[in-house]
Amino acid sequence: MNTEVILRAEGLTRKFGDFTAVDSLNLRVLQGEIFAFLGANGSGKSTTIRMLIGLLRPTAGRAVIDGIDVIATPRRVREHIGYMGQRVSLYQGLSLRENVDFYAGLQSVGGAELERRWGELRERFSLREVENEAASDLPAGLRQRAGLALAILHRPHVLFLDEPTAGVDLAGRALFWELIQEQADQGRTVFVTTHFLEEAEYCDRVSFIDAGRLIADATPAELRERYSGGYLVRASGLAGATLAIAAALKAELSQARAEALIDDNSTLSSEISDTPLEKQRRGHVSIKGSEVSVRLGSLPPERIATLRRAVRAAGAETLSIEPPDMADVFRQLSRVEGGRP
Amino acid sequence: MKFARLWVLIRREALATLRDPFTVSILIAVPLVALFLFSSILSTSVHDLPMGVLDFDRSPTSRRLVAQLEATRSFLPIALATRQQLDQALSDGRLSLALVLPDGLDRGVGKGRPPPGDAARRPQVQVIYDGAETVLAGNAEAFLGATLAATALQDAGVAAAIGQASAGGATSMQRPPVRVLVHALFNPTLDGQPFMIAGTFGFVLSFATTLIIAVSVVNERFSGTFEQLQVTPATTLEIVLGKVLPLSAVFSLDVVLMMLAAGFVWGVWPAGSVIFFLLVSTFYQVISLSLGLLVSATSATAQEAVAKTVLLATPLIQLSGFALPIQNMAWPFRWIAELIPATHYIRVSRGIYLRGEGPLDLIGELSVILLMGLVLGGLALRAVGRRE
Repeated sequence: MNTEVILRAEGLTRKFGDFTAVDSLNLRVLQGEIFAFLGANGSGKSTTIRMLIGLLRPTAGRAVIDGIDVIATPRRVREHIGYMGQRVSLYQGLSLRENVDFYAGLQSVGGAELERRWGELRERFSLREVENEAASDLPAGLRQRAGLALAILHRPHVLFLDEPTAGVDLAGRALFWELIQEQADQGRTVFVTTHFLEEAEYCDRVSFIDAGRLIADATPAELRERYSGGYLVRASGLAGATLAIAAALKAELSQARAEALIDDNSTLSSEISDTPLEKQRRGHVSIKGSEVSVRLGSLPPERIATLRRAVRAAGAETLSIEPPDMADVFRQLSRVEGGRP
Repeated sequence: MKFARLWVLIRREALATLRDPFTVSILIAVPLVALFLFSSILSTSVHDLPMGVLDFDRSPTSRRLVAQLEATRSFLPIALATRQQLDQALSDGRLSLALVLPDGLDRGVGKGRPPPGDAARRPQVQVIYDGAETVLAGNAEAFLGATLAATALQDAGVAAAIGQASAGGATSMQRPPVRVLVHALFNPTLDGQPFMIAGTFGFVLSFATTLIIAVSVVNERFSGTFEQLQVTPATTLEIVLGKVLPLSAVFSLDVVLMMLAAGFVWGVWPAGSVIFFLLVSTFYQVISLSLGLLVSATSATAQEAVAKTVLLATPLIQLSGFALPIQNMAWPFRWIAELIPATHYIRVSRGIYLRGEGPLDLIGELSVILLMGLVLGGLALRAVGRRE
């Protein structure tokens, strides 16, 4: 991935009557980046995408993709972008191959070049066996893969995917993201929206939109650190060992902080507590029965082994470390930045 | 515009249209069912209509008149003795209309046609009909009026006047009312079937065409393919032509199918040029398809598009002159009728089918159709290409 900005939106705004769907949005996406654009239903994700691909005229602002002003010349940008909407747009009455010929024809890709490109995609996307089947007969996972293949057949520089994995099973989604990753590795920029927050982990950068406003734009790790309850470390052992385990945890974490390996600003304290784990404050070592737990904003992998040794030495029999997930991030973000509960 | 891209769009649309069972069934069923229904049910023909005859004259003239009416096979004369019998039969519904032949009919006709202004001395033949059955009775009345006038004129020795007028020459002789002449000239038996069949082309090409393209585009919008098309390099003009051209071609086949069905099943063939009729019909589809695109642009679902098309079909039947004569409408509706494209196409199709008219005879209507095609085509292009 290089640092060239391939997509830039400035003050992008769209109003529908009195309702502001997208409010002065500023975006910068780098070439080769997988850029996740997340938000709740009705937050303005699809409206933004539709403006960026030239289907919707913004009320204000500008957008430039691959050096082309999308607002002034929406048609010019179409050869540079690929798009796959929420509903994979295969013509149901045609076979997959007929769909390929149709979309390739519109992009002026034909003859031997089409055979070569489609041949590669067909193999990589495992579509050979269904090539001659009617699009209406394809199961969701295959349809999504076929839709992605069609969207990149003309080799666009920027690929827009609007909830591409909706309705696809877990295995299908994993394969789909593998294919997206390969596209990015080839230098193609991927702008993707999704409802599956865990999919944001596959992305280089994640932005959150709420009520039409951008409320966060960072790497997944940065977001986790800033907006989640953090890593939950839980250790338990024999009844008499609880205090020793708590002390070992505190010592370890103090050391880590001293070494600047963790940047938690909270004070380490411990007490016997009934506070539910999900509401536990960061850095607060809690003892409940024979279990000792603490939440940490960050936990570098190199510290995990040290931590494990220290609590084992203090008498812990089990140790579990649960990383924060994007759902946490989204909840926190909505509460803190979006002003919503 | 890139022709290679347009060809790709046309090919796909043609394939999709011919493979879609809904479209194919509409393409075949609507024209045939419409031809059957409208030529049978909505036909203005009068056949074996029970007609009471109260003959006070009892003369050779009155008997000949009744015999002539019976010979047309349009009326089934039933002799009545008194006016009470007549009123009773009409109110019972046994009769749809009745004819009262006055005493002195024979003498009146024998004197020939009285001069204008002397109408009071003309024999007063009364036609009484059931006012609740206005359309049927109106048609019967028109037919009866024409037949009576023709009979009376023949008896009065003015057959030559009709002969001259039929040949298209102007005459300074005493002429029967224009309405009689027109019917006698182009549809001597006042058979409603050719009239309705010629009009049915207008109905089918307006209703089915609009319906198919509207549903097709709304379905494409719903399935996302239309949005996908708009993100490709295809221009709006290419997208619109890619839809309109193949559908026009398919509907032209439909016109041929209807012409063959009308000819072989009902014996109704165009009196004018088949090629001219096909050309006008093909161009007329630009209007219907444009309307369909406009309907689709304002419909979120296929159901909504169907509902709107059906709603559009109501004035199409009632105001276009397809089933009801425009000249009988109140003036605001006459103006509205002129704004309906089908009104003009139906006039053209009847002109070609019934009167064998050519482009020069129909230049006025053809100009209106051309103008409407350009305006609606432009609006459709705008609606499809509009970025929200």
